[in-house]
Amino acid sequence: MSDLSVIGTSVRRPDVPGKVTGHARYAGDIALPGMLHAKIKRSTIAHAHIRRIDVSRAAALPGVRAVLTHETVPRVLHYGSPHPRSASVTRDQYILDRKVRYWGEGVAAVAAESEEIAEEALDLIEVEYEPLPAALTVEQALAPGAPVIHERPDNLVVEPVLVKRGDIDRGFAEADFVIEGTYELGRPTPAYMEPNVCLCQWDAEGRLTAWISTQTPFMVRGILAEVLGVPLSKVRVLVDHMGGGFGAKQDLFQTEFLCALLAREAGRPVRLEFTRKETFLGGRSRHPGTVWLKQGFTKDGRITARQGRVTLNSGAYGSHAPGVTSVGTWALTSLYRCDNVHLEGRAVYTNTPIAGAYRGYGVVQTYYALDCQLDEAAERLGIDAAELKLRNAVREGDLSPSGHPIVGHGLEDCIRRGRQETNWPPTKAKQAGRRRRGWGMGCEMHGSSAYPGIKEQGNATVRMNEDGTLQLFTGTTGLGTGAHTALAQVVAEEIGVRFDDVSVVHGDTDVVPWDIGAFASHTTYMGGRAAQMAAAEVRRQLLERAAEALEAAPGDLEIRQGIISVTGSDRRISVRDAIAPQKGVPSVQLVATATYRPTKSYSFAAHFVEVQVDVETGQIDVLQVIAVHEIGRVIHPVAAAGQIEGGIQQGIGHTLTEDYVIDLKDGRSLNAGFVDYKMPLSMDMPPIRTVILETAPDPGGPFGAKGVGEDPIIAIGPAIANAVHDATGVRFRHYPITPEHVVQAMKARSSK
Amino acid sequence: MSKTITLTINGERCELAVEGYRTLLDTLRNEAGLTGTKKGCDVGDCGACTVILDGKPVCSCLVLAAEADGAAVQTIEGLGKNGKLHPLQESFVRYGGAQCGFCTPGMIMMAKALLDANPRPSEEEIRFAIAGNICRCTGYTKIIEAIQAAAEE
Repeated sequence: MSDLSVIGTSVRRPDVPGKVTGHARYAGDIALPGMLHAKIKRSTIAHAHIRRIDVSRAAALPGVRAVLTHETVPRVLHYGSPHPRSASVTRDQYILDRKVRYWGEGVAAVAAESEEIAEEALDLIEVEYEPLPAALTVEQALAPGAPVIHERPDNLVVEPVLVKRGDIDRGFAEADFVIEGTYELGRPTPAYMEPNVCLCQWDAEGRLTAWISTQTPFMVRGILAEVLGVPLSKVRVLVDHMGGGFGAKQDLFQTEFLCALLAREAGRPVRLEFTRKETFLGGRSRHPGTVWLKQGFTKDGRITARQGRVTLNSGAYGSHAPGVTSVGTWALTSLYRCDNVHLEGRAVYTNTPIAGAYRGYGVVQTYYALDCQLDEAAERLGIDAAELKLRNAVREGDLSPSGHPIVGHGLEDCIRRGRQETNWPPTKAKQAGRRRRGWGMGCEMHGSSAYPGIKEQGNATVRMNEDGTLQLFTGTTGLGTGAHTALAQVVAEEIGVRFDDVSVVHGDTDVVPWDIGAFASHTTYMGGRAAQMAAAEVRRQLLERAAEALEAAPGDLEIRQGIISVTGSDRRISVRDAIAPQKGVPSVQLVATATYRPTKSYSFAAHFVEVQVDVETGQIDVLQVIAVHEIGRVIHPVAAAGQIEGGIQQGIGHTLTEDYVIDLKDGRSLNAGFVDYKMPLSMDMPPIRTVILETAPDPGGPFGAKGVGEDPIIAIGPAIANAVHDATGVRFRHYPITPEHVVQAMKARSSK
Repeated sequence: MSKTITLTINGERCELAVEGYRTLLDTLRNEAGLTGTKKGCDVGDCGACTVILDGKPVCSCLVLAAEADGAAVQTIEGLGKNGKLHPLQESFVRYGGAQCGFCTPGMIMMAKALLDANPRPSEEEIRFAIAGNICRCTGYTKIIEAIQAAAEE
């Protein structure tokens, strides 16, 4: 495959010039004549029935054009995340309900001539609550006699996920020792820079056009149509550029329905934009929770049994809890080999903000536990942790969590390469002073595509213009990762033309082929493969036409840099000439559509980090990160490395500082803003050395490519925790590990 | 109570009628139609709305339009000339300094203010200068590379 000319080069991304000049249009940048502004009134109680809601004063305020409450919106039970009828999401939401289930839930909406008037109107809406006891923690929600949040008295979102392989009793009996621990996981949020925003307009024929910052425009279209009772042909969702999503913008946030309904009622376009605070209150976090994990080991470091109990806090609604619980729990069957596995995963409703899909999707949580526990086992065994992980690493042919055999030996390669890059194991520094340094490493694997939880499908249409340039029509969404660039590279490579000859059409559900959405690290893998298949068909059509002109068999032709030549001869014709109109006859239309239904592939990573811990202040600084990723085939090296670096940033965040805190007295959000919700900034970020391997290409992806979006956020957490242990001797079994925890732990140790 | 103010935006003088409570950010986006400047938080925490006001970088969400009366404002739209990208913009394209792009206009304006004052900043000085500009996609690695490369030109 060394003759690839476009794949593997960091071509100029066509989406970026618009971003650096300010001309790129995001959903929030659109303004329409006569546009109204909407605001949502949010609950001030965690759990209550709405006894009475009076909007008369708000409706009478000059400038108010529409007001909606649960009494005036359609009462349709709908999926919280738009993957209708998939096993990954729940159907437990109404646009507005008679009951509120968390502090900050929307209870009414107003559209007015200005944001200020809309805000003033919210204050005039009177809501009388009949308070209910609230379950603010998983323990409270599971206690006998707990308040029932939805229908199920046990407050479970779905039936528990059960996984049984082998015989754990026999496995534990074979073990020379057993390690057991409970790992507690905080509540990080994706904190994308672009607040959720929606603009809706109905035309005279009853057609809805919605500009929405969403990762899943077709899914949003489907659920809007279903809930609003209109056919799909009358809902058009537009999304051009997006200011990040990181998984969370797969959900519906009440806003989309409310915005559409307000626009219909007012007969005017309505714009609804979240404040930053609302992105916390009404947004989605990663699932907090606990992972209890017990493993048996032999003296030579083999894992004989693994038993785990994953308990995730879903918050007030189910959203992606079934998918996250399943993916996170099943992930524990893999990464490090073990024949005897018994796992149980549960997701529990509580009266807290909603957890949903967020980069890493359950695997961040469970691999934190698994990898930290391997580190602990290595210490017990007196074996280097990287060596122990390498011995147990999943390898070719092992059964992956999705039930497919692992292709290649990506994880072993990552560990080996990381050891070389760092001269592992590091020489142990003397740990006595105030500032102590340590090294740690962590591993991960993550699937491209949501299969088997969601039966996915990617589509693409490729059309050749009469000058030989091409249009790729794709329903995938551009979150900012450069995926559309990668897809265009795939098309250019497959056909044999220059990258600049391919343009990407996207972002309009009326125009592009249906797509399931941009998530699950699958856009390049699935959308790219569909694009490759469509491109291959256009190439075939083109060669058939060129064969006549060149008087050769299509099979004897090749295309490079836009030139079609007969192999082994000097006969050639440009793609442009091959397709050009001739003697007044228009060009033939070369167009192809392809559908790809992927199963799954796995990407791998090993992260090696050095930290410094100030044992007096508790401050943990990450000094450097060496990130080794195996992703099959790198299509755009700069974009791939950029995603890795960004994932590491978010991973450092949730491991050390990021935690969306809910007051356990009343369910109120305590840090819904960027001053109190602390993310790593430019001064906090260490140098990152990114190494990308292509040693285990997957036949399911274009040119062997696999996903990379979620991988980098997973291994960094345990790597840091393990490094902190190396520096301080304290083993933290939770995240975030804050300065207070370090100081307390150091004090507790010195008082022993 | 609306008030008429005069702003010189990207070299062009304009008169705008604004309410006393209207921020410079909303005025730029909604009155002047310059939506390149982004609203990430509206409370001065994220830096996405950074513009250069009389030579100094500011969060335009923390400045009232009326306060800026008579001032010169430079926004991302005013950076390139005659269809050619400014070296910082070019560098962000080349080095992968923009992913989702939402922080990018503010980030570039902050970088421009830095390079105007300090044409050869160290990496540490760059990190310090953009410490108030949150990026959630890049880990800052490629942003810093892009600013360094632009400074070296």
